[in-house]
Amino acid sequence: MVLELQKPRPIWQIMFSTHHTDIGLLYTIMSLAFLFMGGALALAIRVEMFSPGPQFIADSMTFNRIFTVHGTNMIFLFLLPFASAVGNYFIPIMVRYKDMAYPKLNAIAFWMLPPAAALVWLGFADFGWYAQPPYSAISAPSPAAEMWIFGLKIIGVSSILGAINFIVTILKCKHPDLPLSKVPLLGWSFLSSSLIVLVAIPTFAAALLMLLTDRLGVTGFFNPAMGGDPIAYSHLFWFTFHPEVYVLVIPAIGMMYEIIPRFSRKPIFSHSSGVFAFVLLSIVSFASWAHHMYATGMSFTEKTVFMVGTLAAVPASAMHVFNFLATMWGGRAKYSTPMMWSVGGIALFFSAGAGGVVNTAMPLDFITHDSYWVVGHFHLFVFGTIAFGSFGFLYYMFPFITGRMYNELWGKVHFVLIFIGAVLVFFTQHILGLYGMPRRVFDYPEIPEWIAMNQIQAVGAVLLGVGMTIFLVNLIYSSAKGKEANMEDPFGLGGKYYYPYQAKNPHHD
Amino acid sequence: MKNIIGLFMVLSILVILPTVQIVFAAGDEAGEYIDRRVEIWNLFFRMMTVAFVVGAVVSGTLIWLIWRFRESNPKATPTKYEGTGELDR
Repeated sequence: MVLELQKPRPIWQIMFSTHHTDIGLLYTIMSLAFLFMGGALALAIRVEMFSPGPQFIADSMTFNRIFTVHGTNMIFLFLLPFASAVGNYFIPIMVRYKDMAYPKLNAIAFWMLPPAAALVWLGFADFGWYAQPPYSAISAPSPAAEMWIFGLKIIGVSSILGAINFIVTILKCKHPDLPLSKVPLLGWSFLSSSLIVLVAIPTFAAALLMLLTDRLGVTGFFNPAMGGDPIAYSHLFWFTFHPEVYVLVIPAIGMMYEIIPRFSRKPIFSHSSGVFAFVLLSIVSFASWAHHMYATGMSFTEKTVFMVGTLAAVPASAMHVFNFLATMWGGRAKYSTPMMWSVGGIALFFSAGAGGVVNTAMPLDFITHDSYWVVGHFHLFVFGTIAFGSFGFLYYMFPFITGRMYNELWGKVHFVLIFIGAVLVFFTQHILGLYGMPRRVFDYPEIPEWIAMNQIQAVGAVLLGVGMTIFLVNLIYSSAKGKEANMEDPFGLGGKYYYPYQAKNPHHD
Repeated sequence: MKNIIGLFMVLSILVILPTVQIVFAAGDEAGEYIDRRVEIWNLFFRMMTVAFVVGAVVSGTLIWLIWRFRESNPKATPTKYEGTGELDR
């Protein structure tokens, strides 16, 4: 029942199953499909920006559509579903329960995503991944805008259903002998991020409805011509989506907490500090949303409050980093592919956090605001940290899902290419931002520094593309033809395959 | 645990105070002028110096950890948890 691909079954048995590992498999396949689709759009963006003037994208409207769908797709159709995939596979096992608390609700939450994805991709809206009014409320073309709004609405409902399921599974369905304090840190990460989803998402749900009624001409919440305030949308949006960054990053850190002790052959240095840091991050995630709007005429006091609120995330994030370092200290680490991704993710997480401190200092924010610095900072988090953690965990889960081993050499080549590519693209974007290049532009003047740095990024993007192609081929080939995994100890760590191994017992115990 | 929290609180304050100080430096009284552009870039370079120093220390530690505690290092010895079953859970 666990090794789905080892015992071939009709596809409809998996599609209509409500078992948590089947739903996990569906989430995995779907999120990877959208990863490659969204990655192709990213490559198109970077190639287009290789030099000034239009290259192969006809006009700015098409360019805007491409980066809108790229952003929406990567966040809502790759990162979030992949986290759900991991949670579905592991949370019931970790809390020693037979399935998720509400299996049918779990299946419904998954099956809401394909229609939502179809709306986002077929609509191909053009107003950025956050639909900034007044453009989105007044003049963004229909029906793309409405399709995007409905797509996001469905994804939001799906996220809430998933979050409820994780919270109930962890809090109410865990084995009576398992105190909450002993739940593994991956479980704590899902509990924390699910609680954030429950508090944060309804605000965006309301904002989407207000945006829709504005577009219909019924209301003017965000329409200045009708007395509305576009900045109000920004507040509603960021009240949801700054915490949402933590919704994405906390499970990725939880995945690293699973991998680093395993491959260091040591228990985690401090379980309690990991729990503390997750809870602290969850709380402070709501104290920082307005730092996205320093440049909109906020009062000095408001800016100070949100600056301090944002900086409060630094100690919590640093606790995770030091927990990882202390765990590795004195260990005997095996640098298989999952461990390499996790360690690379820690390095980039730290770099992203250092850049974030600059963003949050309000005088400095005026330098970096709306520049390529922000693009680099954001991508270091979502790609350098979250996607790195996710890739590492996918390699870790691979024997569990398929019963076979991936090709270790190509897994490492994948890591090296992606790490170099990510550094080339996202670090360069920081510097480009300091040179004054604005983000979300289709074209740029012939400034030699700008041209050089855009070309460096294009080279990095090609490396990313090659790395992801290797990843795709490795996944497909190894799923079918890979060496059969030793399910007792597939990574040769000298122990059992831990949670996945336990899952072979139908009662997960 | 308390020491760790205390250390991070001190570090946070050390980062926050200079930032707040420079923002207040603008003043509200007539006749007080500062060149905000210069001050802000000064602050930027100071914070980047701090960020790079801390980054170098952490990254250096990470690289050393990877080098020293890899299983192929001649000095590597089994951890006290190996073979005890403690890692199987």
